Amino acid sequence: MDLLDNYKKAWDNQPEDAHKVSSLEIYKMAQSKSSSIVKWIFIIGIAEFVGLNSLYFFIDMGEAMKEYEKLGIENFVFYSQIAAYIILFYFLAKFYQNYKRISVTASTNTLMKKILKTRKTVRNYVIFNLGYMVLIIMVVSIASINMNFEELNTKQLLLIVLSTLIATLLILGLLWLFYQLLYGILLRKLNRNYKELAKLDSTI
Amino acid sequence: MQKDLETKFLSDFEQNQNIAHKICRVYTTNQSAHNDLFQEITIQLWKNYPKFRGDSKFSTWMYRVALNTAISLYRKSTKTIKTEDISEIAYKIKATDYDNTEEVQLKALYKAIHKLNDIDKALIFLYLEDKPYKEISETLGISSVNARVKMNRAKDKLKNILKP
Repeated sequence: MDLLDNYKKAWDNQPEDAHKVSSLEIYKMAQSKSSSIVKWIFIIGIAEFVGLNSLYFFIDMGEAMKEYEKLGIENFVFYSQIAAYIILFYFLAKFYQNYKRISVTASTNTLMKKILKTRKTVRNYVIFNLGYMVLIIMVVSIASINMNFEELNTKQLLLIVLSTLIATLLILGLLWLFYQLLYGILLRKLNRNYKELAKLDSTI
Repeated sequence: MQKDLETKFLSDFEQNQNIAHKICRVYTTNQSAHNDLFQEITIQLWKNYPKFRGDSKFSTWMYRVALNTAISLYRKSTKTIKTEDISEIAYKIKATDYDNTEEVQLKALYKAIHKLNDIDKALIFLYLEDKPYKEISETLGISSVNARVKMNRAKDKLKNILKP
């Protein structure tokens, strides 16, 4: 008899695994995928925050502040930035909370709700960032128009307004693309998970 | 109809889950790695189920998907899986209702299998599961002749390791 035949008998008689996985546990397995995606949303959020803020090391803030002072909006810039940072921290905390909560979810139904919530948080975050950008551009351009109002004729005024609008749209578009790239892929994956979960949920 | 299909998947999977467990034992040496692989196999099976048309048995299809998952995962993490780390294999094999010499043999067998490379593991596993060469070649995506040649080599390697 072949050497392996001996072992084969032992193989055939090996006991079944003690841990039988029920069909109910399958959705828990799909769930960990969602939690890792949400974890990435959190990590990218932090990286983006750190990355954008480190830009200040390269920009001469004193010079920029002088410009704002000339326009008479230094108070607005100062307070709006404080507000923006508070809101940004709020979003980072939210991202973290989403990640923590999704890791300990026990049922498909609550998991689905949490996926939807995460999507909403990300959407609000992007809307906030874009909105803040628009607000700053608007305030700066209105302030500079105000300052030079006396010297400008209607044609020049119109030109300035038009070019500001176009520049704003362009910046918005670029930012939107940036966020699509950053979060869009993760959100799509999350959405796919959501659909799979929804299917599973209807069968159990 | 769609719903029936999914219920069927869940029950088929439940019945055949021992296949996945055995593959996990072949490719991993501790409980947490076992669970990770089992989970990945589950996810892959679930994802690929829509493509399974039932022209083969569920178990045959499951062998293919599960083994390929194990092989690709194993390739990615060769550094984290240490073949020497066999102390924990005892976690699986219970002594109750079970012949002691066979228990020793089974442990030795797993220990030897863990020393093989990912493809040889798959070959030996399919041999131990009594799969015909036609199925082995389809499962691993190689020709029948190639499967035979590779199988003989894998068996020789295993015998060399098992030799007292």
